[in-house]
Amino acid sequence: MERTDEALCRAVANREPGAFDLLVERYQERAYRIAWSVVRDREEAKDCAQEAFLRLHESAGTFAGQSKFSTWFYRILVNCCLDNRRRGRGWRRLLVWLDAADDERDEDPIERHPAPVEDPGAHVDEERQLSQLWDAVDRLSPRQRAVVLLQCREGLATKEIAEVLDMSEATVRVHLHRAFAALRRRVGARR
Amino acid sequence: MSVSGHPSERLVPYLRNELAAAERAAVEGHVGGCAECRAALADFAALAERLARAPEPAPSIHWGAFRAELREALARRAGSPGRPRRWSLGPLPAALAAGLAAIVLYLAMPGQNLRAPGGDQALVEDAMLASRLDLIKELDLVQRLDLLEDFDVIGRLDRLEPSSQG
Repeated sequence: MERTDEALCRAVANREPGAFDLLVERYQERAYRIAWSVVRDREEAKDCAQEAFLRLHESAGTFAGQSKFSTWFYRILVNCCLDNRRRGRGWRRLLVWLDAADDERDEDPIERHPAPVEDPGAHVDEERQLSQLWDAVDRLSPRQRAVVLLQCREGLATKEIAEVLDMSEATVRVHLHRAFAALRRRVGARR
Repeated sequence: MSVSGHPSERLVPYLRNELAAAERAAVEGHVGGCAECRAALADFAALAERLARAPEPAPSIHWGAFRAELREALARRAGSPGRPRRWSLGPLPAALAAGLAAIVLYLAMPGQNLRAPGGDQALVEDAMLASRLDLIKELDLVQRLDLLEDFDVIGRLDRLEPSSQG
């Protein structure tokens, strides 16, 4: 039977061989994806994810099991991303990204991410819509982006997102509503 | 209920089935009679569904290399007694200290008749050191000499014209 994340975390705290590697393999892609959604830079997202795993290794013994392991770990991860921004590198990237977003605002996303020549029109249309959607997600504030992606991609409940981002549930609801309203305004729902 | 009278901030939690029964009933009651909120709810549901299934545009990375780097970093931390002290001064201040020590030794050598009339040798040495304090005042600058490099030139090195003198 597969061990739970929580059991693996306790095993990491006891320095049981292999436990850390197993947790890393389970969470590496999610960690990188979440970090990338906040810092929007490949190398920095990788650094943040690795730093989060290092902190997990150091502090596994403090995991009390009162929340899910994923919530606890995502909080470490988001703090790594915020630390990275406080150190300045992340903010510089963010400013570069904001400038780029301004420059590209009116540019056709298909021009920037051309679809393969053999794609039929319907596929191009789907690609265009998805590209516009991610463009709109890119233009959300980092916190709104994190809230939306933690909910829609990682399936976290509002209460868990509040715990991860260290804010009240009411604040998470406000961020969620503003983010969805902005996305709706920018791309429509395109059902 | 928001100031506008619409339950705007409860629409997403409603879609996710996260509201308590009373709140849920209130939202349902409102949405039933409000075309604006009904349209928003339908659009939010479609957006959430698309965000959940749309391929993430995050650039891919090599997971084997990721884990190898992580193991190395873990080994480095395990091998070091603690995190590097932030106040560690590095080799440059050590060189400055050595230079100052050499000055003091030079002044202390026989034949260096800098003794002030009736004064104290320590006072003379202090005066000499004080005259060189500008070096220490600029320590911060000296430690950050790399910041003075011309990053603009570095950034376009590959585009610089070759010098006529080779």
